[in-house]
Amino acid sequence: MDVLVMIVAAIVTVIAVGLFARTVVGFVRQFKVGKSINRTDKPALRTLTLLKEVFLATRLKQKPVGPIVAVSHLIVLIAFGVLFFTLVTAYGQLINPDFALPLIGHWPAFSYLIEIMSWLMVLAILILIAVRVARRPNPQQPRKSRFFGSTMWQAYYVEFTILAIGIFVLALRAAEYARGSVQGEEFIHSNFPLTGWIGENWTGLSLETLATLILLLAFGKILVSMAWFVTVAMTPTMGVAWHRFLAFFNVWFQRNANGKPALGQLEPIRYDGVALDFEKLDDFPDDIALGVTAMTDFSWKALLDFSTCTECGRCQSQCPAWNTEKPLSPKLLTIAMRNHAHAISPWMTATEEERAHLDPALIELAEKPLVGEDGVITDDILWSCTTCGACVNQCPVDIAHIDHIVDIRRSQVLVLSEFPTELNGLFKNVENKGNPWGMNASGRNDWISEVDFDVKVFGMDGEDTIPEDIDYLFWVGCAGAYEDRAKRTTKNVAELMNIAGVSFMVLGEGETCTGDPARRAGNEFLFQMQAAQNIEVLNEIKATKIVVTCPHCLNALKREYPQLGGNYEVVHHTELLNDLVKAGRLTPVNKIDQTVTYHDPCYLGRHNQVYNPPRELISATADSFVEMDRNRDKSFCCGAGGARMWMEEKLGTRINQTRGDEAIATGAKRIAVGCPFCSVMLNDAVNTRQQEPGRALGVEVVDVSTLLLDAAKS
Amino acid sequence: MKIAVCVKQVPDSWAEKKLRDGDSLLDRDSVEAVLNELDEYAIEEALQITEAQGGGEVVIVTMGPERAGEAVRKALSMGADSGIHLVDASLAGSDAAGTSYALAKLLEGRGFDLIMFGSESTDARMSVVPSMVAERLGLPQLTFANKVEVSGGTVTIDRVGDYGIETISAATPAVLGMIERSNEPRYPSFKGIMAAKKKPVETVSAADAGIDAGAVGTSGSWSQVNSFAARPPKAAGVVVQDEGAGGVAIAEFLDAQKVL
Repeated sequence: MDVLVMIVAAIVTVIAVGLFARTVVGFVRQFKVGKSINRTDKPALRTLTLLKEVFLATRLKQKPVGPIVAVSHLIVLIAFGVLFFTLVTAYGQLINPDFALPLIGHWPAFSYLIEIMSWLMVLAILILIAVRVARRPNPQQPRKSRFFGSTMWQAYYVEFTILAIGIFVLALRAAEYARGSVQGEEFIHSNFPLTGWIGENWTGLSLETLATLILLLAFGKILVSMAWFVTVAMTPTMGVAWHRFLAFFNVWFQRNANGKPALGQLEPIRYDGVALDFEKLDDFPDDIALGVTAMTDFSWKALLDFSTCTECGRCQSQCPAWNTEKPLSPKLLTIAMRNHAHAISPWMTATEEERAHLDPALIELAEKPLVGEDGVITDDILWSCTTCGACVNQCPVDIAHIDHIVDIRRSQVLVLSEFPTELNGLFKNVENKGNPWGMNASGRNDWISEVDFDVKVFGMDGEDTIPEDIDYLFWVGCAGAYEDRAKRTTKNVAELMNIAGVSFMVLGEGETCTGDPARRAGNEFLFQMQAAQNIEVLNEIKATKIVVTCPHCLNALKREYPQLGGNYEVVHHTELLNDLVKAGRLTPVNKIDQTVTYHDPCYLGRHNQVYNPPRELISATADSFVEMDRNRDKSFCCGAGGARMWMEEKLGTRINQTRGDEAIATGAKRIAVGCPFCSVMLNDAVNTRQQEPGRALGVEVVDVSTLLLDAAKS
Repeated sequence: MKIAVCVKQVPDSWAEKKLRDGDSLLDRDSVEAVLNELDEYAIEEALQITEAQGGGEVVIVTMGPERAGEAVRKALSMGADSGIHLVDASLAGSDAAGTSYALAKLLEGRGFDLIMFGSESTDARMSVVPSMVAERLGLPQLTFANKVEVSGGTVTIDRVGDYGIETISAATPAVLGMIERSNEPRYPSFKGIMAAKKKPVETVSAADAGIDAGAVGTSGSWSQVNSFAARPPKAAGVVVQDEGAGGVAIAEFLDAQKVL
């Protein structure tokens, strides 16, 4: 029997390792099809980031799972590496039941490590299984589960394999102890701290029987391990298994070497790995592929992202679109892309010539569009994204969902002309009128006539650069100039700066849309036209310090314009005002005797990490401050980001209502915001509720600056 | 089917426009020039007709200074096939009658099945050029068209008038004027913008088109601007505070305006 077992084990191992190696080669070949993108800058920092993310589990501590899952996951992760030695031992035990690894096999430290890790791993995997079972989709509200749409059998298979391996290792050690004990070996006393007690029960067995037991257990362990290798090799779409290998690479190659989530600025549109400059339009080849039309247009990093997805669903649990019954889930989108990529992998990796000879069914599948009714994803999925960044911020393996979604939108807009018709108006207004509302440039200074102090407009005194004595260029923004609620913020901030003695200047008609909504809607061409125009003006007048009231302007000016040669020091008004209060230049004399809550705008919070200044300002101006359930980096979008402000919300429930209700539920009388779009969206939501019979809530949505002005003036 | 779409470059519809003191013509240099918005509906309709027929040709026709070529490119970026640009200093200042004469000369003999217009230009807002061109070419005119259907040699439209909608049809060739409710003009794709750069635009002078220089331009126009004055600024409105007699005050105001 021994020989038969050895032969079977050898054959199974050769097949498993062979298949596994073949699949690994398949992955590498597929990723190499992806477009080039440089992700190897600062290798030392990247390595440090990888070590931090792995061993400090920095990306898993976030809610909703908490530290228990993080620790359990870390144990399994480490045990996977450590227990590899027990697999080697098992092969030895097929030949000789008393086999031990040379040098370390009977070294107590090694034995302790193996035993402790095995027990911990069994415990940890039981916890992880329990979490998965507890959080599995329930039939009443399946979408509430973060595992909705995850391939559950794969996850259970991986988890039970780990459990089985743990049990095999412990049982094997117990049998080793028993055989050692019967043989009167000395080493058993210092090598089996946590399995000796089990082995004690088997010391009555004969040496012969114990040898057979060890052989069968070792054989069983090898079979379970090899079955796992075969299964994952045959299933390259098994993200839950493959993330064990791919996640290390995906984390190392992430956008920011320092491990900051891929938020803020978008990746520029690239052609052959080089960022495109639309000013050089005439040099572009006629058939230039812009954005992602087909799977082969993605960068290798995007393809790696898709394959690495572990289907944990943390993105899904945070997504404002998914949580309001829209068809988009960042996880399901990633899974759909991954599954399609692997389904057409033979086509992707083939040369043009070889492709013609492939199976017609495969060619047909490869020609399936990425977007559309018959596509890999539907238009509704693509356009439901608000680019709020909750998914990117949550992803434990650093998948950059927004970059991929926008890259697909770019092709839809620039190449295929397939996009929601509402965007037509947005694009035309930005292109022709320089603002999304289609208002006249001459109206940009209207607010100035509504304030009773002087506001300096650039060029009025014939200056051609911003004078030395001006502290800030006040970038008013389109909303700040044209939209009533935002105009009030503009006037507040101007007045507060005036009170505090901060000298500022506005551009007036020299301002035009930063291009943010165009960029997020995929119209990189229009974004670059707007950006080029603004950067030319800002550089020409030597603008250095800029204050904005709109987080979208902030993100464009501060994070995106550097990509195109515009480098400025940009602050949000809540940052500036908070500094002024701290410096004693603004004094809230009469605190507002109401409870205030604060809604973090995505582009101020997650995308630009401004969380504290608005809170400090509110605390300085109001008696009591209350947080909403979802706050700071887990803030729930108002629904207006990603150019959704200008699209109708026809699917599911309304995002702004969900958020508005959450704000109302805090009992706060004032809901403070720091973004003109959040202001419009939440105001709508609150008004909807206040108009319901019997619900005079007396709740008001205000900009943080309004609170300060009220407190500073009264 | 070969379709001509006549377009015009106009000053930005919402910009403040001024007439020049010297020749009483619109000062085009001070405002941004755009493709007349209503023409976009005509272009879109023409493209949809050829797309539905699975072939055909859409030719963009314009009359205007050098700069008007931008409007042609814009139209080509939407998907039209080629352009004809009538440019001649002698044409400057032509009124509607002069313009229709020049366009008719330019269009005749080119074998168009349909000649389409936006129903008016947003600067002059005369709404008569389509009809005048039709008259000069002796073709049927289908103006203020909403829905357009082409089948065989017949074109049928819903004509949106002040008192209702008429369904009328004519044999091709015919002249159409499109209103802004007819469709949703497409946003030019980047591919379209790139392709437009290479599409042929034929530049034609007045002489090439056989236009009598005496019948066009400021001097050749039937109508002449004698003088002009800026519109007086809007007077402040009257605010009636309702202190019990608001109704009476409003009635008196309306009576003073001779509305009642």
